[in-house]
Amino acid sequence: MKMVVRNVYLSDGMLVTKSRYGSHYGEKVFDGFREWIPWRSKLAAMILKGYTIDFRGEEIILYLGAASGTTLSHLADIIDEGFIYAVEYSAKPFEKLLELARERTNIIPLLFDASKPWKYSGIVEKVDFIYQDIAQKNQVDILERNTEFFLKEGGEILIMVKARSIDSTAEPEEVFDNVLKRIESRFEILKHGNLEPYHKDHLFVHAKLF
Amino acid sequence: MRYNLWFGVYEDGKVEKSSNLEESFLNAENEEPAPFNISEVGVKIFGGRVEYYTSLRKVALAVAERLVEQELKREDRYVVALVKALEEVEEAINMLKEKVEDIRTVKDSEIVADFEDKIEELKNLKKKIEREIEEIMTKIAPNLTEIAGAKITAKLLERAGSMERLVKLPASKIQVIGAEKSLYKAFARMKKGKKAKIPKHGIIFLHPFIRTLPKSKRGKMARFLAAKIAIAAKIDYFRGEIDESLYESLRKRYEELRRK
Repeated sequence: MKMVVRNVYLSDGMLVTKSRYGSHYGEKVFDGFREWIPWRSKLAAMILKGYTIDFRGEEIILYLGAASGTTLSHLADIIDEGFIYAVEYSAKPFEKLLELARERTNIIPLLFDASKPWKYSGIVEKVDFIYQDIAQKNQVDILERNTEFFLKEGGEILIMVKARSIDSTAEPEEVFDNVLKRIESRFEILKHGNLEPYHKDHLFVHAKLF
Repeated sequence: MRYNLWFGVYEDGKVEKSSNLEESFLNAENEEPAPFNISEVGVKIFGGRVEYYTSLRKVALAVAERLVEQELKREDRYVVALVKALEEVEEAINMLKEKVEDIRTVKDSEIVADFEDKIEELKNLKKKIEREIEEIMTKIAPNLTEIAGAKITAKLLERAGSMERLVKLPASKIQVIGAEKSLYKAFARMKKGKKAKIPKHGIIFLHPFIRTLPKSKRGKMARFLAAKIAIAAKIDYFRGEIDESLYESLRKRYEELRRK
């Protein structure tokens, strides 16, 4: 087994995270590892496609759009000595996320609207990393607003952009170009790429705040 | 500057600790980002890093559990009530418009202007209700709203009575919700051995993918849409996450039918 990211291993083409917890969304669990399914998680797809991020495991992370906690559960395996503020506005998936947050001591669940960061500005501290997976038209605005409130100088972001959510009629390449231009104005882009074949018309952007 | 933090109010480097953490947690709103790091201040107040995060998690969990329960219990019933109210408001607007026309043809008096003000007011109310419905529908049924739109989804929800009941409906029923009258009429004719036209669509006819197709293809599209709606309702109710492939397959089917 090869380690690709802290606590993330590649075993016969299958991505797994080292975890002492049980299954959260139906993934396989074996000998202290949990299968990380790339079709269910964009972060897993990105790592499986060969792009990795050097997590130290002690970061403070702001996770926007945590949904029911699929990706979050694996990120919590990686950041085993840090903390993750997990923001999700929709009550239904939040129920599932709460199950996860009850057993994981490094997750702080926040039922708030990520497009209104001032609402939780007295809760979330300055963070090292913002992970955003919100399929919404104004997802870049949401990222910018949260960056202003919470991202440390030199902090990093990883955003998953869904072309069809931003503009369903334009060509995905066109949408992505615009998104990259906007991110470039405030961040240094470290890497970007698509998530084919796991997620169609999606772009990941990893960047660092100037 | 004063800053509202989840554990109290920060002013001039001092913190007045809150006596009700759950309440201060929900009021931790500030217009500007804090120029200091909240956790650093908090660690001092709580007497350690472990203590700080333990308390924060405990409060966050308690608040979230309470809010989730409240929202899930009430929201679908609230939408059902709103849809019913919306229909009444729409009817009232139409009725008033008719009456004011009757008056105007006889005499254009001051009262006519008063009527028009009232109609305008009702139209604003109507818009407000529509916005509220849309906001809640995206929250409680994101997949349904994505594929069918807030209006159709809310109407289906209203006919079904609750999300729980909507989830249990088969696609064939969803397809004809809102066309019960002609459906039962057709059944009655069939019983007598006569020819009958079974309706192809009820409320879902409002969907642009059905409405914009030629008549001969609407039935196919309605059947397909209803099937997807039935799936989306189940995902929304049991999982709650967006499934991107639903809309995609719908659009594909629509384009296929349009081309043929």
